[in-house]
Amino acid sequence: MLKDNFNLAYKNIRERMSRSILTLLGIAIGIMAITSLMAIGEGMQDAVTGELSSLSDTIIVTTGEGISTSSMGMGGGISLSEDNGEYLTERDIADIQRIHGVKDVNTQLSSIGIARYNGEDVSVYIIGMETEPMELKYGLEDIESGSLLKEGDKNKIVIGYDVAHEYFDTDVYIGGRIKINGKKFVVNGIFAKQGGGSISPTSNVILLTLGDFKKLTGESNIRSATVKVYDIDEVDSIAEKIEQEINENHGEDDYATATTMSSILESIQSVIGIMQMVLLAIASIALVVASIGIMNTMLTSVMERTHDIGIMKAIGATNKDVMLIFIIEGILVSVVGGTFGILFGIFGSQAISALMARSGMGGGITLIPVITMTSVGLAVGVSILVGILSSLYPAWKAARMSPIEAVRYE
Amino acid sequence: MNKDVIVTKNISKTYGKGDVKVHALRRTSINITLGDYIAIIGPSGSGKSTFMNLIGCLDKPSSGKLFIDGTDVSQLNENQLATIRREKIGFIFQKYNLIPTLNALENVSLSMSFAGVKNKERLKRAEKLLGMVDLSKRMLHKPSELSGGEQQRVAIARALSNDPSIILADEPTGNVDTKSGSRIMGILEDINNKGETVITVTHDPNIAKRAKRILKIQDGVVSEENA
Repeated sequence: MLKDNFNLAYKNIRERMSRSILTLLGIAIGIMAITSLMAIGEGMQDAVTGELSSLSDTIIVTTGEGISTSSMGMGGGISLSEDNGEYLTERDIADIQRIHGVKDVNTQLSSIGIARYNGEDVSVYIIGMETEPMELKYGLEDIESGSLLKEGDKNKIVIGYDVAHEYFDTDVYIGGRIKINGKKFVVNGIFAKQGGGSISPTSNVILLTLGDFKKLTGESNIRSATVKVYDIDEVDSIAEKIEQEINENHGEDDYATATTMSSILESIQSVIGIMQMVLLAIASIALVVASIGIMNTMLTSVMERTHDIGIMKAIGATNKDVMLIFIIEGILVSVVGGTFGILFGIFGSQAISALMARSGMGGGITLIPVITMTSVGLAVGVSILVGILSSLYPAWKAARMSPIEAVRYE
Repeated sequence: MNKDVIVTKNISKTYGKGDVKVHALRRTSINITLGDYIAIIGPSGSGKSTFMNLIGCLDKPSSGKLFIDGTDVSQLNENQLATIRREKIGFIFQKYNLIPTLNALENVSLSMSFAGVKNKERLKRAEKLLGMVDLSKRMLHKPSELSGGEQQRVAIARALSNDPSIILADEPTGNVDTKSGSRIMGILEDINNKGETVITVTHDPNIAKRAKRILKIQDGVVSEENA
């Protein structure tokens, strides 16, 4: 019976080829939108997770509200909150160091300075840190040319990619001389171009040794500390202890915030999740339009086949038989359309990610669209559902025709 | 004595209400026995179609009782009527009424598929029936590729597919030439000779004369004419 219905549906679809193809295309576009958006969403999750999960043993301690995450630039960026005039003290750092399970604590000092090169002045973000944590924090892949600072280096700096290539009229090279706040420094290294998703942005930064920084600014304001723990499972409880210790030191409830990478990851993922939902909702509109298309085609088809329906009922088709014929036709159209949609979606998402990579959108994060079985299953499920829902009304209309009148209808 | 396949007890059919009420068929009581060959004649608008629709279970009487093969069909719902049509009645229409997208073989097996007959068995039976109406070589042709006479023969094969007890033919020769017409009547008579009940509506007195019984319908009243 089912096989015959398929046969009937197939014959009818073939009979009205161009119309069927157009209907099919509607569904294909809707499913393509959903599949590719899901693939890109999954890819985005993977990229961000991959970037951040290697840092799951890390806690970032800051004063104030801590780290804020945003979905800007697709990959989700992280930035320190505004300088609020509250800083961590040496005592805080020592206390953190004493907490059981803490491997080491890196601090960095930062300030805004004026850099002068070839008579041009620009404002830059200057960071001072010990050379040892510097090596831990930045790897070879972070450096475009030159090298990081070594123990004992004096008046040497590492500059960000944008500082080297964008800020001044002429590019800055290794060995170039930049005056910061009137003091002369030699460029020892240049950071590589970096994406928006990085947890430690380097593009507009000038990096100094801690000693140079203190001499230059006279400041010892610690805005943040990076804590590594031994055991990833303890990371949350340690973060809590750190907050307690520092808040006690300053006698203030919300003086410091210790943020774990996993919580950052969670909040980024939830932002991406919301974004995905919004994109899917928009894509669903295409699907709704497509299902109206199917309904329209099916209604026309029912009208055209009134006579056939009458014959089938006269020779013994029940209402259920007639309904099934049209519902199966609807399912067939939408599943074939959906299959094309999934294929288009796979290629489409590859194309979008290639385009994004070329245009530099999404920063340095390489977004590889991920087609999961779930999304394929969902797409197939949705197309079957659309097929059923949109053919239900036409099928019902066909089924309740009177055989006498339908046979007479020419 | 053969058993009755169709028994009508005071059936009537009216359309509309009040002033616009039309009596399409008035209190009719007849018996049709298994193996009968009946011609129904009458001018157009006389109630022939109404009568055919009722005994073909396409419609229900407004009053009275109608028995098909012993089952009172006047109280059945739409789906139960569809089952009676499928199992007890084979329709042959004036305009053949084949499904245009299906070939001859598929048209014949379609009503068997509604009856749930298995695919293999269905095809075997459809081939046999098409052989019987001399269309073995045209089985894979679509209706549009067949002549009127050939299409009507496919329709006869289709009518026989579920082994019904009654064949209802509405002007079966109305749309074909004389030669094809007499061939079709010949087939219907063969079927009748094998014990099938054949009821045919016709305008042609020559065809009517070949039947065993003639029912004349005029102004919604059915009367027996001596053949």
